[in-house]
Amino acid sequence: MIDKFKAKFVEEAQDNVRDLEEALLLLEEDLNNRDIIERIFRAMHSLKGGGAMFGFNDLSDFTHHLETIFDLIRNDKLNADQDIISLTFNSVDHIKFLLSIGNIESEEDRKEQAELIRNISKYTSSSAPQQEKTVESSDSADVVDDGSKTYLITIVPDAEILKNGTNPLFLMDDLHALGEAVTISYCNDVPVISEFDPVKNYCSWQVILNTLEPLNEIKDVFIFVEDECELEITEIAAGNVLSHPQFGGLIEKARTEEKPLDKDIVLNIDFSGENGAKAAATKKKNIFKDHKISSIRVASTKIDDLVNLVSEMVTIQAQLTLYAENSGDPTIVALSENIQKLSRQLRDNAFEISLIPIQNELMRFQRLVRDLSKEMNKEIDFIIEGGEIELDKNIIENLTDPLLHIIRNSVDHGIESPEERIKAGKSPKGTIVFKAYYSGANVIIKIQDDGRGIDPEMIMQKAIERDLIKKDIELSKKEILDLVFLSGFTTRAEVSDISGRGVGMDVVKRKINGIRGEVSIESEVGQGTILTLEIPLTLSIIDGLLVTVAENQYVIPISNIEKIYSIADVKLSSSFNNIAVIDDKQYSYLNLREIFEEEDVSVDDSQLVLVKYEDKRVGVIVDNVIGEYQTVVKPLGRFLKKLENVSGASIMGDGTISLVIDTNRLIYYNDIQKYKNVK
Amino acid sequence: MAEKQLTSILSFNIKDELFAFDTDTVRNILEVGKITKVPNTKEYFLGVINLHGNIIPVVDFRMMMGVKKPKDTKDTVIIVLSNDGQTDSLIGLIVDGVKEVSSFSEDQILEDTIIDAASGTLINITFRGTLKSDTEFIHIINQDDLMEEIEN
Repeated sequence: MIDKFKAKFVEEAQDNVRDLEEALLLLEEDLNNRDIIERIFRAMHSLKGGGAMFGFNDLSDFTHHLETIFDLIRNDKLNADQDIISLTFNSVDHIKFLLSIGNIESEEDRKEQAELIRNISKYTSSSAPQQEKTVESSDSADVVDDGSKTYLITIVPDAEILKNGTNPLFLMDDLHALGEAVTISYCNDVPVISEFDPVKNYCSWQVILNTLEPLNEIKDVFIFVEDECELEITEIAAGNVLSHPQFGGLIEKARTEEKPLDKDIVLNIDFSGENGAKAAATKKKNIFKDHKISSIRVASTKIDDLVNLVSEMVTIQAQLTLYAENSGDPTIVALSENIQKLSRQLRDNAFEISLIPIQNELMRFQRLVRDLSKEMNKEIDFIIEGGEIELDKNIIENLTDPLLHIIRNSVDHGIESPEERIKAGKSPKGTIVFKAYYSGANVIIKIQDDGRGIDPEMIMQKAIERDLIKKDIELSKKEILDLVFLSGFTTRAEVSDISGRGVGMDVVKRKINGIRGEVSIESEVGQGTILTLEIPLTLSIIDGLLVTVAENQYVIPISNIEKIYSIADVKLSSSFNNIAVIDDKQYSYLNLREIFEEEDVSVDDSQLVLVKYEDKRVGVIVDNVIGEYQTVVKPLGRFLKKLENVSGASIMGDGTISLVIDTNRLIYYNDIQKYKNVK
Repeated sequence: MAEKQLTSILSFNIKDELFAFDTDTVRNILEVGKITKVPNTKEYFLGVINLHGNIIPVVDFRMMMGVKKPKDTKDTVIIVLSNDGQTDSLIGLIVDGVKEVSSFSEDQILEDTIIDAASGTLINITFRGTLKSDTEFIHIINQDDLMEEIEN
């Protein structure tokens, strides 16, 4: 049981750590920003508290020291500077480590922690005696005005208001949604039952609302009922005074006596002073509470399960539709159509749940760029656009490593040292832009640096040196740049600590292809390099073209298909290479019967599907095209993951299985590989 | 706790020799139905089946054990098992027929087994040992090795 809580704590602590890192990066830009310092302090404080509660004593002890620094900073006893931030970053790494191991066991780690604490103490020792006190009183002492205002809103609707279909209670709901509010209702005018007219309104209300929203926002609530009620909105105080004792008394009195609050009396209350501050403090806590309820934390396996179940339901539902159509029974047909509608919505919902914004991962990249550039004495601006873009969590998991690698490359190989940049007439500070945006059913991620770019000459040389290509081969610039994706290719002469361990872009490419994505590279010497990743939004559902080869059915993802031709319109010649001539253009082609080692009988009405592969088009010959089909892609499991041509399977409406062809891999292994094997 | 840990096994036959898997790993025993062929796989790899919405690869264990052209009978079944309990590791193995579930304690396993791993089989199969039950010998298959063999 306790392990479960511990796991939960670690999960939440990781969120805190991420928040901490994000705040630290922001603080680096703006050293005196109080909000950020508060945020850092808060994150540390929860780490400390939670750590102690769940037996992470070393973590708690360590964070306590660290927190002290920021306590001093926020109390203006110490100024934040680069050294402190660097020290804190190191400490955050240590915290991550502590979270992974629990409590320190080895002597070495213990020493390391002591060393960090010693460094931290350098900042805190001067004001050490008051440490404990400042920490304990952290929550209430220094509450700042959070910019909110408290309004008294008096609403006296006309008696006829209900006739227009207006429900005044919804107005109250809308007001409550704007912030923290107290509503007092006055029903003194409600007549005895014999005189009661159910379509007449007899009530009026007063709402005391504390909100950060501007006055207009409040007025907007009443935009449709302005003419049907008397409305008065008075600003009574800055900050939250809802729990101010004197005011609270007034509200209570108004409630019991059903006598509306008089705005003049309210305005005369002295809200300043300690009580007001306390009230604001509770308000602050409330903000946190509200914030937490707006989202819930679910184990990711549960979401996986949900998505799997939904996928299964979509499959079964397809069976039902098939059955309903065949039965001809209109009741069943109608029912199945309704279920189809529902399951589609459910599917969309379930997939939406498993989407998470890239932002969550970007923190690591920011951190990476910062650390690396410090280490290599480079100045780099890391700019992020489109961090709010959401992707399937499985995709994000697979995306992180390749992205880290690409960004590392940009910092290591791309951006030059400041001196070199000045010599080249550039600003000494390099820029790496991370840009993400939607494009159809795909997300495009571009990582662009303004560094030295890639010299095609050099690539050629290296490729020849490493025996990857023949010496006298002629390649276009793009083809040359694509060589960096070959395995065993690394451009740095010496292996650096940061990138280039011989595994490089080929791994990136493989990983991206593994999630049915594409990666391409553009580069201009002296101007920089752009890596473009094109990634599907979700892994498990695709629009596919159903085709047959021998006795099997296969699915080809529609997004990769350019056109379909009847074989009668195509002139094939296979005397040399497999060449298909379509509309006076030559394409290389693959015969799936040949590739799948099926019996080679010629089928009369076979068809050629023209498939996109990077900027090429390759024909794929199939026996027959059946039609378009939206399908849930299921994994083939560990025993078949090494298959080159097939990447998954899909269960058809009648329960049979179609294999999903991965055209990228199909073409890569059967066509490109053949002619790349030039040596 | 009893000091003798009992292990439960599912025994099955290929031709007239008895073999066994660990019962805990077995998920299903199915009749042989339609198997969808997967291209570019080893000869004993028959294809995939749909089991409750999961795609399960099926291998002909008889062929792996060296049976040249195995014939299906009414007793032929697919034993579906997952060695590590993960759905990802589910695999179906076709055998000539299942016999029974029985228990044994580790000290009943005879160390020297007559089956020589190399003889006639397509794969390099290893055994955890042989068990004598009444009049028959049951060879307990080393599933970790087997799975690795299939995977590579």
